[in-house]
Amino acid sequence: MAEQAREQQELLLHMRGIVKTFPGVRALDGVDLDVRAGEVHCLLGQNGAGKSTLIKVLAGAHRPDEGTIEWRGEQVTLANPNAAIARGISTIYQELDLVAGLSVAENIFLGHEKSRGGLLKRSETRAAARALLKRLGHGEIRVDREVGTLPASGQQIVSMARALSHDTRLIVMDEPSAALDQQEVQTLFQVIRDLTAEGVAVVYISHRLEEIRQIGDRVTVLKDGRTVATDLPARGTATADLIRLMTGREIEYVFPEGPAAATDSKVVLEVDGLGLTKKFADVSFQVRAGEIVGLAGLVGAGRSEILETVYGARKASTGTVTVDGKRLRAGSVQAAVRAGIGLAPEERKSQGLLLDQAVYRNITVSSMSRFSRAGFLDRGAERAQARELAESLDVRPTGVDRPVRNLSGGNQQKVVLARWLLRDCRVLLLDEPTRGVDVGARSEIYALIRSLATRGVAVVVVSSEVEEVLGLADRVLVVREGLVVHEGPAEDIDEHKVLDLVMEGSAA
Amino acid sequence: MSRPIKHPFRLVSGVAVAALLVLTGCTSNSPDSEASGDGGGGDTKAVSANDDPGDTVTIGFSGPAADHGWLAAINSSALAEAEKYDDIELKTAEGTNDPSQQISQVETFINDKVDAIVLLPTDGAALTDIAIEAMDAGIPVINVDREFSSPFAARATILGDNYGMGVSAGTYACQVIDEKGIEDPVIAEIAGIDALPLTQDRSKGFKDALKACGQTVDNRVAAEFTVESGEEQASNLLQAAPKIDILWNHDDDQGVGVKAALDNAGRDEMTFIGGAGSCNAMDWIRDGSMAATVIYPPTQAADGIKLARLIAQDKGLSDLVQVEVPKRIVLNAPVVTADNVDEYSDLCFES
Amino acid sequence: MTQERTAPAHEGAEPPAQAPLAGSGTPQGSGLAQQVLGSSVGRNLGLVVALLILCGVGIWTAGEQFASVDNALTILRLASVIGVVSVGMTFVITGGGIDLSVGAIVALSSVWSTTLATQTMAEDYHWSVIVLAALAVGTGCGLVNGLLVSYGKVVPFIATLAMLASARGLAEIISERRTQIVHVTDFTKFFRADVIGIPVLVIIFALVAVVGWVVLNRTTFGRRTFAVGGNPEAARLAGIDVRRHTVALYAIVGLCCGIAAVMLVARTTTGSSTHGTLYELDAIAAVVIGGTLLSGGRGTIVGTVLGVLIFTTLQNVFVQNDLSSSVQAVAKGLIIVAAVLLQQRLAARSNTGSS
Repeated sequence: MAEQAREQQELLLHMRGIVKTFPGVRALDGVDLDVRAGEVHCLLGQNGAGKSTLIKVLAGAHRPDEGTIEWRGEQVTLANPNAAIARGISTIYQELDLVAGLSVAENIFLGHEKSRGGLLKRSETRAAARALLKRLGHGEIRVDREVGTLPASGQQIVSMARALSHDTRLIVMDEPSAALDQQEVQTLFQVIRDLTAEGVAVVYISHRLEEIRQIGDRVTVLKDGRTVATDLPARGTATADLIRLMTGREIEYVFPEGPAAATDSKVVLEVDGLGLTKKFADVSFQVRAGEIVGLAGLVGAGRSEILETVYGARKASTGTVTVDGKRLRAGSVQAAVRAGIGLAPEERKSQGLLLDQAVYRNITVSSMSRFSRAGFLDRGAERAQARELAESLDVRPTGVDRPVRNLSGGNQQKVVLARWLLRDCRVLLLDEPTRGVDVGARSEIYALIRSLATRGVAVVVVSSEVEEVLGLADRVLVVREGLVVHEGPAEDIDEHKVLDLVMEGSAA
Repeated sequence: MSRPIKHPFRLVSGVAVAALLVLTGCTSNSPDSEASGDGGGGDTKAVSANDDPGDTVTIGFSGPAADHGWLAAINSSALAEAEKYDDIELKTAEGTNDPSQQISQVETFINDKVDAIVLLPTDGAALTDIAIEAMDAGIPVINVDREFSSPFAARATILGDNYGMGVSAGTYACQVIDEKGIEDPVIAEIAGIDALPLTQDRSKGFKDALKACGQTVDNRVAAEFTVESGEEQASNLLQAAPKIDILWNHDDDQGVGVKAALDNAGRDEMTFIGGAGSCNAMDWIRDGSMAATVIYPPTQAADGIKLARLIAQDKGLSDLVQVEVPKRIVLNAPVVTADNVDEYSDLCFES
Repeated sequence: MTQERTAPAHEGAEPPAQAPLAGSGTPQGSGLAQQVLGSSVGRNLGLVVALLILCGVGIWTAGEQFASVDNALTILRLASVIGVVSVGMTFVITGGGIDLSVGAIVALSSVWSTTLATQTMAEDYHWSVIVLAALAVGTGCGLVNGLLVSYGKVVPFIATLAMLASARGLAEIISERRTQIVHVTDFTKFFRADVIGIPVLVIIFALVAVVGWVVLNRTTFGRRTFAVGGNPEAARLAGIDVRRHTVALYAIVGLCCGIAAVMLVARTTTGSSTHGTLYELDAIAAVVIGGTLLSGGRGTIVGTVLGVLIFTTLQNVFVQNDLSSSVQAVAKGLIIVAAVLLQQRLAARSNTGSS
């Protein structure tokens, strides 16, 4: 694809000096962004750099305080979501903006239903939805199915279809690959290529640099609400340079060095023959104190379910879970917690955190009894403890009274970890610990997990990123379709081997 | 009370109309709404020396919320009665259905050292203690309509006769059955709120009187003293009983709904008997769509005010030889029919 | 890239990879039975069964007296007023709100439309003045609720609680707590008539239910109501004016209250501040046992109508058997719990697959 040809393309979007303030925060402080027709323009920046606010401005969901937006050479105001949609700007949000109770077809055409005189044309809607899904390579999704019953990846596809259902010239994708496995990401990329070939522009936001290299044309980097670099070639810019621009620091994306594999320490967690009907079967492994065990596999292979079953959130149909030699009652979260198991769930926002509650309350929620006297909470002690932990984990911004909702993904994850630290966990189960965490903060989270392990905690990590599992864990289990297909030390296996294992047999 | 602010409110709602809807016009219920309050006329009664002005006495009056035509008449006739005497200073507490609020009203009367208290309790038992307290403080309490649970709680008690009402209705029913020679009559009853003792008393009286002539109630439903509930329960009842000979409805307020249900179903085969004695009922009796109604006097509180004045002024009932006001007066529950309806129409109340 | 496109790897890998996470629901797991159970017909099945059982009990205990056409029409006529209110309530609850003021609005509309002034006007011009007055008052109250909720950002529970108190209070002030009897005979004649043997009130109820069903299930407005109730933020980002939509929802329930007031005035020939007492609870109960989610995002008019019919039939069966209202209240409570439990079972079954 000739780069020159693209440069000739029409300048679609031209944003200059965009400023947006919220009470107490200057989220955007002079952002510039140019997007040409037919290009994939990547937006990079740490969490909190202003990417989400920027795309909301672009989508008409926020009105900027200052700055100008030119759309196809004409100055416009995007007063509300309708104005943006009408001009051909569609947005796929990271927090999926779907209505769980409506069907796939209904969600795709929400807000611009196919109707005559207010009456819906239902068969036409279904046919159009089917066509869109097929175009995305997911013709197998039934258009009558309720969106709430689809897995995250399916919902992502529906969001995409919705964006395409408009007569779109620009699609903004906020971390579209977060919920997808590698196969699905490739399908997504093919869709993007088809779109750009038709002259549609894509603004692509992702934390995964390798994806940006694969699909992107140009890169704009945001930091602290400002544009710090623009018009960088997506393939030609060195990783180190991008990270430096994003963080303002020279930083290496590193995994902490694990100590010599702790083969002599005590077995803390023992899972034996664990199974859950239709999800996974006969899973056995042991985790010693100070050890990190990683579970690798595709999204939907049963990894999260294994963690949730160990934790008692799902009731195992076979097998046992033993902590420190004591067997846990199946299907009882209380028993698991009492035995010292902590879980940092995949859906941090919906399952892990009380979003509107203060940071300190989120940290102390699992150890409440420690701060209560005759049922009354000693909030001073609660805050003090929480503050100490938050500082030691470098939760930012500081101050434990602010609602967790206002924290970035990485800092939210630190809050979840702090909660289990406070409880003196014996076993920590981490499901996608760096989902939605930006590159700069990842190293911190990795270091934190390692330091927990060295304190004697047995850690189990699940991640879709093979690199993460291999880098972090001492031992790796590969899961495919609910079965453990490989177990061994992390250093004996590499990324290609893992990918081979998880795909093996799938072609048959 | 609501009187002084009535017109401003009308003004406000008038403005609201103009703004909201052009069509509705106004909310006025004039012209005759002012006249209807003082149903109980004292003018016809014998005038005695007792009516001569005496020492000025302060009387505290507290009754339930007037959310029902009969109760509204209770309140308005009491006020009207007090108006007639220059030597009565009436302190009226806002009507309430909350016993604890009424208790605090009585406490206020005690603190204010009124000369007598007229009390129509929301719940007789709940107000007994505070009434005893008032009596102990030397303030005579006149108990109206719903009786206290202790004889020490009131200096005088004036009651409508709920049991007697049922008896009157039942006796009249027996008489009709006898006169018309109805074989095996179907008798139906529409009661008021079943949880109230007064409803239970009325039903018991009705049952006992019917038993005397060898009859029983075949169908019984309970409404809630509201028009809507009367209509609803009557509609169901009419389906349950395809033919009814005698229908006694406890309360003429809900009777408006019962009547609507009868008209709706085109049912006029039965002898329809009412209760309480509203002006609507009197009209129906005149035009023949109702056979009779049993009076439950809405003037009890007015009588209570009169008794309170006499007691506070140390007078007796001049028509009695006894020098003191009697301890207990139970009012009669007469049956009004087409023959005597004009005698009673002055005492009727607007529902 | 190309090899990944052409390789059957993707097409083949997809279903097994997704199946464990997706649970059933995927096409291969769905039999006919499951589709029926998952559909709205299936969700209403429990209610139909409950209604049939009730009717069976009615026939068994009261025989022909219960099974007569007359009695059926009586049940429908009694259901019609609360039914109209419940249809309106279905909209508000589906849209993520709640309206506690329906009973009070019915009372106020009934009183306002039967004042001497309104009745005089109705006699001078046309009886429809009464109807227009009731509808306007109902819609007006609904608008006030809606504006308070969406632009005033008052929680629906509180905004409509305030309306509950003040509308009934205003009704008492206007009526001076009297029962206002309707003298406009043309009005009562029209609404108490039959059309080919079916009472006008029942026809109105049927019309409201049908129109309600069409609007909720077959129009963009209805579709957006589900979205606003299910995920307001998503609805906003999809370009829906959530606030205006919310106002419209409360106006609709207000309008339904106005219609119900007209019907009640015709039925009882009176307007009264005691009309519509506890309608809010009856309507919410009918809507919830009908299968509408109290948290919004899911709603069914058919379920609501069935819910109303169940309660009304229950009352009728009890009166037919000369049982006290207290027993009736207990039975009502049991039915609410039983219906909701049954629905949860059916819903769970349709979610976990046909096995």
